[in-house]
Amino acid sequence: MVDVSAFHCDYENKWCPGCGNFPILEALKQGLADQGLVPEDVLMISGIGQAGKTPHFLRCNFFHGLHGRALPLATGAYVANCELPILVSMGDGDCYGEGGNHFLAAIRRNPDMTLLIHDNRVYGLTKGQASPTSERGFVTKIQPKGVRSDPFNPAALALSQGAGFVARAYCGHKEQLAGLIGQAMDYRGLSVIDIMQVCVSFNTVNTYDWYKKRVYDINEQGHDTDDWNAAMDLAMAGGDRMATGLFYKKNRASFADRVPGLADSPLAARRYDPAQVQALLDQA
Amino acid sequence: MGIDVTVKVGGEAGQGIQTVGDLLAHVCHGCGLYVLGVNDFESRIRGGHSFLQLRISDRPVTAPDHRVHLLVALSPRTLDMHLSELAEDGLAIFDSQEADAGSNVVSIAVTDMARKAGGAIMANTVAAGACLALLGAPDSLLERVLKKQFQAKKAGVLENNLNAAQTGAQAVAEIDFAPAFAWPEKKPAGKLLSGAQILALGALASDCRFAAFYPMSPATGIMAGLTGFEGRAPLVVEQAEDEIAAANMVIGASFAGVRSMTATSGGGFALMTEGLGLAGITETPMVIVNSQRPGPATGLPTRTAQADLRFVLHAAQDEFPRFVLAPTSLDDGFETMGRAFALADKYQVPAVVLTDQYFNDSVNIAQKPLNAPESIDCHIVTDADMDDPKAYRRYEITDSGISPRALPCAGQALVMVSGNEHQQDGHISETIPDRIGQVDKRFRKLAAMEGEMRPPRTDYPDSRVLLVGWGSAAGAIGESVEMLRAEGMDAGGVYFTDIWPFPQQAAEEILGRCERFYMVEQNVSAQLGGLIREKTGLKCYQAVLKYDGRPFFPFEIARRVKAAEEAIDG
Repeated sequence: MVDVSAFHCDYENKWCPGCGNFPILEALKQGLADQGLVPEDVLMISGIGQAGKTPHFLRCNFFHGLHGRALPLATGAYVANCELPILVSMGDGDCYGEGGNHFLAAIRRNPDMTLLIHDNRVYGLTKGQASPTSERGFVTKIQPKGVRSDPFNPAALALSQGAGFVARAYCGHKEQLAGLIGQAMDYRGLSVIDIMQVCVSFNTVNTYDWYKKRVYDINEQGHDTDDWNAAMDLAMAGGDRMATGLFYKKNRASFADRVPGLADSPLAARRYDPAQVQALLDQA
Repeated sequence: MGIDVTVKVGGEAGQGIQTVGDLLAHVCHGCGLYVLGVNDFESRIRGGHSFLQLRISDRPVTAPDHRVHLLVALSPRTLDMHLSELAEDGLAIFDSQEADAGSNVVSIAVTDMARKAGGAIMANTVAAGACLALLGAPDSLLERVLKKQFQAKKAGVLENNLNAAQTGAQAVAEIDFAPAFAWPEKKPAGKLLSGAQILALGALASDCRFAAFYPMSPATGIMAGLTGFEGRAPLVVEQAEDEIAAANMVIGASFAGVRSMTATSGGGFALMTEGLGLAGITETPMVIVNSQRPGPATGLPTRTAQADLRFVLHAAQDEFPRFVLAPTSLDDGFETMGRAFALADKYQVPAVVLTDQYFNDSVNIAQKPLNAPESIDCHIVTDADMDDPKAYRRYEITDSGISPRALPCAGQALVMVSGNEHQQDGHISETIPDRIGQVDKRFRKLAAMEGEMRPPRTDYPDSRVLLVGWGSAAGAIGESVEMLRAEGMDAGGVYFTDIWPFPQQAAEEILGRCERFYMVEQNVSAQLGGLIREKTGLKCYQAVLKYDGRPFFPFEIARRVKAAEEAIDG
């Protein structure tokens, strides 16, 4: 068993005290250690925002890219080397706002990677504007009369588009999240975990107390993860009871499975063969 | 006087104009002639007006000719628009049943004949047959090409096409066409290829293993060219959801260890600039082909331009070193792709290859052999290269500015990369020493990058008057220089492929010697002229500019330079 502390990083953490990202980070370390991985074997790719900073606070290989663009960046890395254990860390604005199109495309492409969305329903790094998952009526400095749009429903959208691994977690339930991360990493294809997260600085509505009263673990209740309709019902249910856990799991051909030859050996591992290239040039 | 004949075939989109051109080009090339074929089309799938202009010669040709010897009009509009371009001894063939359309116009029922041969779809084969017969080509030449093209198709297709070609030839058998010539039967020189194809082959030969793109004219042909090698080479071509994704995928793949590229046009490049900046600050090699077309915004989607030079030089926020290369010919295109990948890897910077619609969509003869390099050096370090891999720092401050580049998950070295400004280990930093240290480190590469830049290619560089251009305009400029010299002017040509970092010393030396120089560019402000002035202090005398979306004709460049020179001489 790899020790969780192997993933400890000395780089100074820059999240607010009490931030919901801390328990997510702990769950992440636990999940990676449970997988028997060492930091040298892990690649995390992130976007922009507090969630985007996650790899800086974890010992691992990483590429901290642009706002919304972590998924195409990770997809490129995956195509180059489909054996890399890739985790993608994004925020709700990052993944569902700026990167919404990439989220849709990633579901369709199904690269083998674990997508963790730190969903705190508010823009933290830019100091408190509405996010795609903010409830309608959510008041911010920019939206003083409340958000006019309806919220994005990550799980329902992922399910409707055919995602093969859709889970929802709560940052306050670390063990459950660590377990889900493990299952997600074992899954061959894109696994989506929408993590309901608390922002102690800018979201005074969706607090730890607010979530505690509402969240429950569906897997403990014996939910059938093969049942797409049941998963969709869970995703659509709003209000006072918020389901967490693995909603749905189904095997789908991963991106590498769909490209002849890619699943056999990673592109990056192939040797350059001048004779083969010359033969192709000669045929042109 | 050698052979120099131009055939123009025009009609509506969807009539197979390009097929006629392809057939003619292959027949000509097959017997050792040189060709340059320009595709001119509108942004529509059917209808409208498009044409293919094929210049046929027994010497290498590098630009389209403005005179048309044989015009094949498959639509009345083609005849209206292009009849005036006919040379004195030229002839137009008009697809019509009506006789006597004019003294140099012959009516032939092309479509009707095609129908009789098996279907209106073969109008292009009828037209090709007629053209070749008029030009004096033996029947066997077209037959050979048709057999090669249609042998794999289902029964009857080849026979019908052979029949169609013959009907076309018979219809013009009685016509005496002055520019007809004796066809050689010799070994073809080089390869008949489009610019897009040669760029794809250049990428293949550079060991490019991943290409991500979003379809955009006129860049798509490059990706289509690469797609053909999927499965035959270790290469994946992926159509991205947008250009932003394409650029980021390329960066991700390059970061993880494979040479990667994307191709787009100005509008797509605009979306990629964010990614370009990411490649800049993360020092990730990437190759972007910008196949220029007129803009701004959607501009003229299927036309040509050279107006993105300033844009690609400065695209993305802040400053970072990059390469900008603009191939001047097919041979140069193959080599330029190789250099773009090699330089991007060596210096860990983005390399932009500037091409355009004219370059991409035209066919010409690549004369140099296409050689795969013996080996590819991606300048990657592994644990074995390091004293202490655990102490590896991706952005180590070095004298050269180049930090050792390791790949993620390839050993004990942790590779940490951030688009935020960072410390040497890759973690975010906002300290003043880190900021200045990293900016200086990145820019320290420039001196060596400048050393990689090749001087512009020249014709008659010691001439009194020099015509200066870049990229695809070089061919037309070169021919205009020959025209001017034939008229007694002491003129030479200067053609830049390597544009950034600007080859300042070479430019100063060459341009400092002449009496005056003219910029010849397909934009409205002589963008390279401005750069030359900025970097050398040398100012062009005048600029010959064209921004109507169509490629330069050598004749028009020569005419305008001559007029300017005559004005000086009084």
